[in-house]
Amino acid sequence: MKKSNLALALAAAFAATPAFGQATVDQKLQILQQEIDDLKAQARSSAAPTQQASPYSLDYSSMLDRSSGLANGGTNIVGYGEVGYSKFRQSGNATADLQRFVFGFNHRFDERLTLHSEVELEHAVVSKDDEGEAEIEQAWVNYKMNDAVNFKGGLFLIPLGILNETHEPPTYYGVMRNQVETRIIPTTWRELGAGVHGIVGEGVRYDVGITTNFDSSRLDDPTTGIRSAHQEGQLANARNLAVYGALNYRRPGLLVGGGVFTGDTGQNGASNPALQGVAARFTMWDVHAQYRVAGLDLHALYAAGTLGDADKITAATVAANLVDPSVTAFAAPKSMKGAYVQAAYHVYKQGNFDVAPFIRYERVDIRQAEDPGNNLFQNPNNNERIKTLGVNFWLHPQVVLKADIQRYATDKSQDRFDLGLGFMF
Amino acid sequence: MNWRPRRSLALLTLALGAAGAGLVHGEVYQEPDAFVAEVFGSKPAPKVLWLTRDLQAQAAAILGHAPAQLRQRYWSDSHKSVWILEEIGKEEPITAGFVVVDGRIDHVRVLVYRESRGQEVRYPSFLRQFGEAKLAPGDRLDREIDGIAGATLSVGAMERMARLALFFDRTARK
Repeated sequence: MKKSNLALALAAAFAATPAFGQATVDQKLQILQQEIDDLKAQARSSAAPTQQASPYSLDYSSMLDRSSGLANGGTNIVGYGEVGYSKFRQSGNATADLQRFVFGFNHRFDERLTLHSEVELEHAVVSKDDEGEAEIEQAWVNYKMNDAVNFKGGLFLIPLGILNETHEPPTYYGVMRNQVETRIIPTTWRELGAGVHGIVGEGVRYDVGITTNFDSSRLDDPTTGIRSAHQEGQLANARNLAVYGALNYRRPGLLVGGGVFTGDTGQNGASNPALQGVAARFTMWDVHAQYRVAGLDLHALYAAGTLGDADKITAATVAANLVDPSVTAFAAPKSMKGAYVQAAYHVYKQGNFDVAPFIRYERVDIRQAEDPGNNLFQNPNNNERIKTLGVNFWLHPQVVLKADIQRYATDKSQDRFDLGLGFMF
Repeated sequence: MNWRPRRSLALLTLALGAAGAGLVHGEVYQEPDAFVAEVFGSKPAPKVLWLTRDLQAQAAAILGHAPAQLRQRYWSDSHKSVWILEEIGKEEPITAGFVVVDGRIDHVRVLVYRESRGQEVRYPSFLRQFGEAKLAPGDRLDREIDGIAGATLSVGAMERMARLALFFDRTARK
């Protein structure tokens, strides 16, 4: 800082009369020296030209470290992750896994235009011989006209359910995401497309758009409903698109909402010629609610979907098996539904510490288009009831320890004890 | 459904036109100067709270991070004080005005909101919860603030700013 500027700063500082004079002259000098040191440090560490700050901040002596925000027109890093340990009751086996680590770059181009992105690494190691995956979870640009009208385009999350858009580990109960929003709503479900969203009235948020859709030729696991037919923005077959719409009403302690997604998934047989001319329309909808009062936190969700022409998709898997025996034929899912209710109670809250035991009951029901002639039948594990009893212990609003016990009514091999650590930033 | 480029382009153009017709600056709900003037009838001269090392430490304990600015401007008369504060919700600063009367929050207003989600914190149904709030031991609020699903971090930022405004008011009146 130039000497003339320093002198001006000192003069200005002493000209502004402190109301009650609680700081001595020496203390004021120390504060000014500290500010000068901070400015010097910022100048040394900043290779790029100084970005213009928001006009609403410096005049009011913000408490904010502006280098950490987007308001300076810069780029911000966000992320979340979770580690889990599961001990299975029947087999006695146990696994420990870095389930996911996600980081994202968010950038503000100008006052209205922003970029949102997330890159996800699953299971710690990504290579040809490992289970891990690296994927882009979101990459979309938002243009804000005003609160009521935003345009978005790119790879974004479909606004169905509670978890799909808000899935950071400290925001939900239990080590594992609930099964309804895993096997019925395929969280984290994203598509390429464009949409309009915003908030109207007092707390009514809408989101509508047109996106890519599933490719039913890619189905290979009927136990997870439509999930295995996802395209996730990877050279997606886009002959058939989908439309979606969602409405959510939020006020303190309350969320009520729902959404619908529909479109054909046959993709004119782009991945399997046996599906040429087959529509295979997929429609999914959900309703959900969350209510929090006096430490009690209640959740409920119901989701249902149908996949048209499921018998033809089953036949297509048989045809594919005949061409290539390494491809497994199966009975395709024709309908899927699931629901859960969950109650948690915050029994202890002190500072950042927050402890909440919870209980959850889930039901998952996936019906398949059987083909007895080819010995393709319903998988009994597709009709499941799950009870979960556990506790979340937040060390900080953004860091949580979790423990739970899960009991499956049908597939007893999944009975387990889980421990987890989750974080977001 | 099959992709019909012409129809989609026409719809998009229509939507852009309709939205453009109602184009407003979407983030600034009220200029901070106007908020101060509204509280006092006219804008009085600002005062300055100098953050000594002790105060910095206490502000950091409330915010969870060190305050970057070491002189806090505010406006006051014999009973009430007004504090314009900023705090990051998820990744962008929220600018809010806090009016403190006799050590209790009189009212709060979100003046500028920049994030793409969580605008629900600006509605009266949320802000009313801060009315009459005061500091409890440990510089916590004397009440629980109900959160908003999907806006947890913005709610946290508003709560921290409310505590800071009350703490600053108490300090300035010593």
